[in-house]
Parts: sequence; C-alpha cells; structure tokens
Amino acid sequence: MANYLSLEFARSGPMLLAEARGKGRWATAERVLKTLKPEQVVDEVKNAGLRGRGGAWFPAGIKWSFMPKEPKGPSYLVINADEGEPGTFKDRQIMEKDPHLLLEGIAIACFAMRAETCFVYVRGEYLSSVVALETAIAECEQAGLLGDDALGTGRRVRVLVHRGAGAYICGEETALLNSLEGRRGEPRAKPPFPAVYGAFGRPTTVNNVETIANVPFILERGVPWFRSMGTQGAPGNILYGISGAVENPGIYEGPLGMTARAVIDQLAGGVKAGRKVRAFIPGGASTGFLPPGKLDVVMDPDALKKEGTMLGTGGIVVIPEEVALLDALRVLSRFFRHETCGQCAPCREGAAWSDQIVGRFQRGEGSGDDFALLNDIMRGSKQRTICVFPEAFAGPLGSALLHFKGDFERRIVSHGTAVHG
Amino acid sequence: MAELTIDGRKVEVPAGTNLIEAARKLAIDVPYYCYHPALAPVGSCRMCQVEIVDPGRPPRMVIACKTEATQGLNVSTTGKDCVAARAATLEFLLANHPLDCPICDKAGECDLQNFSYLHGHGVGRFTEPKRQLLKHELIGDHILLDQERCILCTRCVRFMGEYAKAPQLVVAGRGDRNVIATFPGERMHSNYEGNLADICPVGALTLKEFRFKSRVWDLDSEESVCTLCDRNCSVTLDTKRNRLLRARPRKNPKVNGWFMCDVGRFGLLDHCNPSGREEGGFVKGARVAPDSAVNALADALLADRGRWLVVLSPRLTCEEILLARTVLGPLARALVHVPVAAEGGDAILFTGRRAANARALELLGIDPISAEDLAHVAVEAATAGVLSFDSVALATLQGKAKLKRAALVDVWRRGDAADAAAPLGVEFFVPGTLFTEKAGSFVNCDSRLQRAARVQRPPQGILGEAGLLQELARRTGDPARNGADPTALVLAALGQEPLTLLQLPEEGLAVAAAAEARPA
Repeated sequence: MANYLSLEFARSGPMLLAEARGKGRWATAERVLKTLKPEQVVDEVKNAGLRGRGGAWFPAGIKWSFMPKEPKGPSYLVINADEGEPGTFKDRQIMEKDPHLLLEGIAIACFAMRAETCFVYVRGEYLSSVVALETAIAECEQAGLLGDDALGTGRRVRVLVHRGAGAYICGEETALLNSLEGRRGEPRAKPPFPAVYGAFGRPTTVNNVETIANVPFILERGVPWFRSMGTQGAPGNILYGISGAVENPGIYEGPLGMTARAVIDQLAGGVKAGRKVRAFIPGGASTGFLPPGKLDVVMDPDALKKEGTMLGTGGIVVIPEEVALLDALRVLSRFFRHETCGQCAPCREGAAWSDQIVGRFQRGEGSGDDFALLNDIMRGSKQRTICVFPEAFAGPLGSALLHFKGDFERRIVSHGTAVHG
Repeated sequence: MAELTIDGRKVEVPAGTNLIEAARKLAIDVPYYCYHPALAPVGSCRMCQVEIVDPGRPPRMVIACKTEATQGLNVSTTGKDCVAARAATLEFLLANHPLDCPICDKAGECDLQNFSYLHGHGVGRFTEPKRQLLKHELIGDHILLDQERCILCTRCVRFMGEYAKAPQLVVAGRGDRNVIATFPGERMHSNYEGNLADICPVGALTLKEFRFKSRVWDLDSEESVCTLCDRNCSVTLDTKRNRLLRARPRKNPKVNGWFMCDVGRFGLLDHCNPSGREEGGFVKGARVAPDSAVNALADALLADRGRWLVVLSPRLTCEEILLARTVLGPLARALVHVPVAAEGGDAILFTGRRAANARALELLGIDPISAEDLAHVAVEAATAGVLSFDSVALATLQGKAKLKRAALVDVWRRGDAADAAAPLGVEFFVPGTLFTEKAGSFVNCDSRLQRAARVQRPPQGILGEAGLLQELARRTGDPARNGADPTALVLAALGQEPLTLLQLPEEGLAVAAAAEARPA
C-alpha cells in the first residue's frame, strides 16, 4: 500500500508553501471549510477509525465529538508536539519537512471543533521544528490560508507556536496545558477532562502531530481508502521509528499491524550485521522490554495490549546481546526518576526508590527481598496517581522482571531469601 | 441533596460534597494530607483513596477529596485494596522521611505519625541513602522550613496563594528533587505565615517562636479568643507553667474560618507573657499592696460620689463592663470610652482596631467620647478626677489636661508607650489583669459574643478590675448581682437568653445585628 505521510521526509528542509500547494496541500482544507459542515468532518474522522498516534490510541473522532457544538466563548485545539518519549522522533519529521501538512490538518480540525485558535506545543529542543512551523504559519497568513479570514471563509483560524522547556511530563496532555498556561508542568486530576475544562479553562482537544497529519488525507481520499490500510481496529499507516542495533535506523512509514520483525527486517534493513537481539522495546521507553521470542508480535495497539505492553508511539528500540539488560533498564529508570513531576507521592517516591534498587542490582548489590519490594512499589503506584506515569516507569521495570529475571538474579549478593542464578 | 452509603451506613449530604466531608458526617475519618477544607483540592498525596462499590463490578479506587457525593453512591473506606493503597502511600512518604520525631516540634500532633499508627505497615523496607536537604531554614518572619521532613503536600503553597494572597512559596525542582522554596534569596512576608505551621501536616514548617519550647503533650490547651483586634478570632491557647507558649486558630466559620493572623498569634505571646509588669499598687506615689490600693481608691471614689469621670477600656470583658456600669454608673459623673481607630488592618482577618470588646461597650450603652472632648470634660469644675481602666486613653490626656486627680486600673508594664499613665504619675494605681487571667466574654465587630477562658493565674495578690468593682459593690450594697452568673446578666442586658459562660455555643452567639456602620 502506498505511503502518504512520509513522502517529503527525504528533503533537507521544510517544503515551502508554493511547492506544497503544487503537491495538493491546502486543497482539501479549502474544500472542507467551504463545502462541509463541522459534524460531517467529525463523522468522517470517526468512521475512518483514526486513532491518536500520541501513544494512547484513543479514537480521534470520538475525542472531537466531546467538544461543545454551540460553544459560549472560545474552544481550543492544542497540538501535542512535545515528543519526549525516548525512542520516538516521528513528529519532528512532519514539522521539519512537511509543516503545511500539519497546518492543513489543523485548519480542518479547528473547523470540525469550532475552534478559532490552535496552540502547537513543541518540544523545547526542537528548534528546527519551531522555525519550520513559524515560517509556514507566516506564509499561510500572508496567503490568507490562516488568519482572520482563513481560506476566504470568514472563519478565523489562528495558529500559535509555544516552545516547551524540556520536561517529559509535559507530553501528558493536562501537564502540557498547565505548561502552556505558564504553570508548573503537572498533570491535572480528571475529571474535568480537557474537552470541558482545558487550556485557560476552556474546552480543549489535544491531538498528536501525526494524528492531525492523517486528517487531510482521510478527507481527501475517503474512509474506505483509509480503512484499506492497517488493521480492523487501527486503520491507516503509522510512522515507525527504529533505533538501536539495526542496519538503517530511522523513521519508516508502514501500515499498522506489521510484525516487529517485519518492521526491522523490511523497513530498517534488519538487525545490524553480526549482532543478535537481546531484547526490544516495541513502542517507546515506557512500553518496556520484550524478549526476541516476541519479535513476531503484531504492531497494533490492541494486539500489544494483550501482550501486556503497548504500541505507544511506535518507536522500536533494538537492544543487542552485548548490552547488559540491567544497564539498559537503569538508563530508563534514571530517566523516569528524573522526569516524574513528583506531585503524587507514590510516583515521586516510587520512581526514585525503584531506580535506587535497580542501581544496586547494577552494582551487584541486589537482594532476594528486592523482587517483592519492586513489585510492591509498582503495585502501590500504578493506577494510584493523577496520571499514568507510574505505568510508564513500571513498563521497563515490570517487563524486565518478567522476561529477564535471570539478569537480576545474577547480581544478588545478600542472602536472606536470595535466589542465585 | 444526595443520599449515599459509606461503609454500610447511609448519610445525606448536599450533592457535590466530597467524600471526605461526607464520611466525616458519619464520624468516619478518611486520612488525607494534601486536602484541606479551606483550600482547593489537588488530589496528589493519594492518602484518601477509597473504593466505590458497584454491584457486579470490581471495586473502583478513587480519591475521596476529589470525588463528589452522588445519589446512591456506595463507598467503602475499609476495602482490601484501599487499605493496601494507603499503607503503600505511607511507605512511600516515610521512605525518605528523617524520622527525627524525638526532636521534632510536630511530634504528638503529626499526621505522619498518626496515620502511620492507624494505616501504616509498622516496618520500613527502605534501605537506600535518604535524601539530604535543608534543615531549619528561616523562610519567613516566623517559619522554619525542614525540607527533609516535607511530604510535598503543597498545602503551604496553596495557602499562601489562595488565602494569604501572597504567593511567595513554590514547589521548586522536579520529581524527587522537589522542594518547597521561596524565591531565591527572598523570605516570605505576610500577616498569615503562622498558619503554615498549623496546616503543615508534618514537621516541615514550624514556628520559630515555639521551637523546642515544649512537647505538645505537655501543654494545657483551652478554647478562647484573640483580643488583639476586634475580629476576636477563635483560638486555642496552649500554656505551660502559667506561660502562654502558643496560640492557634480554632475553626469557627462564623468568625475566622480556619485561620488567624500573625499580629494576633505572635502578639498574644507578648501580650500574655508581659515583661516588666507592675505587680504592686500605688497610692500617692507610694508602693502598696494591690488590695490597699483598691481600698484607697474605693474610699476616694465614694468620698466624691457623682464627680468622678470613669473611662472604660475596650479590652475589658463584657462581664466587667456590665459590672462597671452597674456599680460605677450611680457613683460616677459619667461612664465613657474613647473609641479606637482602625490602623493597618487587612482585607482578610485583621481589622487593625485594637479594641477587642469595643462593640460590647457600644451595645451596653457606654457613651463614646473623643480624646479632645475627654480632655475638656476631665478639667471641668464638676469633675473631681478621672478613673481610667484604659491606660492608652489616659495617656492621650498627657499634655492636654491638668487633671485634678487621676486613677488607673490596667496592666502596666515598665517602658510602655503609655508612659504618661505610669503609676507614679497618677494618684492611684491598681494593677489590672490580662484577659487570659479571667474567664469572660467578648463581642466582636460583627456582634458575635464568644467565651474567653482563664488560662493563666495573675501574679500573687492582684485583684484586678473585678476586685475593685466587687469591693465597691460590697460597700454600696448593690443587691442586683447576688449569685447571678455574670455572663447570663450580660446576655440579659443585651436582650438575649441568659446563658452562662459555659453554656455558650462553641461558635459564639450573635447578640445584635452584625456590622452596622461604626463611629469613626
């Protein structure tokens, strides 16, 4: 099946407006805004089965339908371009190479949700994404595609770029909203959900960059076309990000539902010559480690859920034999300890404590009692906090304990109930 | 209204009440740290987890502080999972806690201790090095911060922003590097800082003024009011060996909500533990025992019946004011008081009017008189002398009027600003009592009468204001007050049901229409 999202990724810089229009960008938005009703757009996205590519895979059309139909005051669209999940680097490709694709999707989504303003919250380190977006926005305002009279429809569509300040947690949608408002980037307790009380207290929908980039194609080519790709439960293509011990690490477009092995072999040139896979991460750091025996798992949100993990952002990391799994785990446990916002006690203390314990194992100072303790730390924090951060740090930790317990057992010194591997 | 079931018992609460308050109505204590009834809930400490039980479904864990009571809701605070969740939360909170309870001022009234006993594991499994952070850092005018003890509930941060309107505390850092902090290099400045030590559920924020003064279980605690302005905040006074060591606000939705100001909290310590207090009486420049001074003054008052001008103090209790009206009314040329102007009040609690019982003087019909008029009346031929219960009012006469005779009944401390009223400058001085040295009542600016307990003994021999008034009553044979409860007499005089002091409701009693325009 043909690719559509990544066609411009080979270029060295952003595609400017003149060229983008030549490639059909903005034509769909113009037709949609001039001929359709907002509900028709929402229905089309709903029927296409487009699910959010930010990691949670929530149906986008359903999310849109939560927005008020007759808003009293402003509603907002917020684009989550914070892209902080280790192993994930897909959204920057869209912003840096094909910014008009995102902007066209934004115009359509704003129309569908009756929002006049869209904030694009861009990861602070993504300076080139910010420059590309701001250039494209200026071009669009100049050309009358965005602004007070977007596409000559009399509707206002205003896009504002906001740079993050380097916190992973700000990729969580309500922490992102707090950060956008100038507050500490801490997730908000829900309810109320953003569609009721979002940015600046107004109805808000937060969508991932890649999700919105799919929207113009769905409206251009139709539901059957979109559903002809991917799986029944998750149609469409996805941008797989592959890093680690593969021949050609990078971003590759492919349908949802490929096996991890196929993604590695067919898209990324296979495992690096002479290396063997020790473990792989299916969809970004928080999805945890899987052993090589699971390489034939299907890259589909529901299939991976059955495996006890997640598709996440589709960022696959291949870990070769010569990397000690505990070292890989420590990198991630340290990362999550560093990035928990720390407002909820179980997460703040649990992320730090488990990192300290993993550190002890890494130094060969583990104890047999630590297994029960690590499990209690995860049990005491998962589903016990405002957001799902404990699930994120428990992803690598829990999967390592499940699939690679021997790596821990070999690092036990103290006796007690210790098991020696 | 919503009727719900908590632990098998039904309770009806207004819809929207959170589950902590709904459970409280059944006397079921849901433990919490970050929640505070006076602050916006954040739901981050995870201590108040309870279970929602829907038939045919596994119990659903929620945080009670942010879950609203709805009709038919079935809540369990004792389910296996929420008990385990609370124990887990406590283990997390205690992991890095220094456990320095033996040297912590909060010990004995600390929710980390209390909940550990009630909901914790009893053993610690944390063997890693603990965080080492700031200990006893002075972050305001009164507050010491111990970052190691802090459990980051953020009540303090929200209090300073939401209530004190002085958002000078923040959470700095991220994750397990989170700490409570002020702006770098700055300290807090607010009239409401002291409340932080009360709302801090652990020993992270403590009072400089109470540091190492006492274990809290050694304190004697009594309910009273603060008398340093006419808000009369409800307080609990903590004393030890006749010294006031701490004043804390006592919840009273009708007066002060949950809090009190620093002028009152720390001013009371000074007010009630006066240094250089004159404990003897004076008659014509000679130091005498207090009872001799009472007798000499009583003689002088009775010798010149109808010719003494009596100035009452807005710091007397209602009972003293009424007794003065009864006894001195017929004896004096006039009974007056000098109204006190508000100075430096704020829009929160502190009114700035340092006249706790001014409203009672008004309600009991004591005539106001300006300081200027007082100076005139004091030297009129019909005036034999001035008897003042108010050293401040007497001091205003300094340099304005050459008094024929003067008497002062008040607490006087050497070096007071009101030096003009020094015992040696008046003919008679009878040492008065502090409000904490007598039981009585006060009426605040909104006409609410509250009880003030006797929590201190006056120095040996001091008979106080009541001593003089009772001596006069004995000599004049006033029959009206025989055996009657003084507070009941006050309430009767105000047209209220005559309750005794101990019958007064905890929140006090509205004795007149609230807050009419007061004389300037």
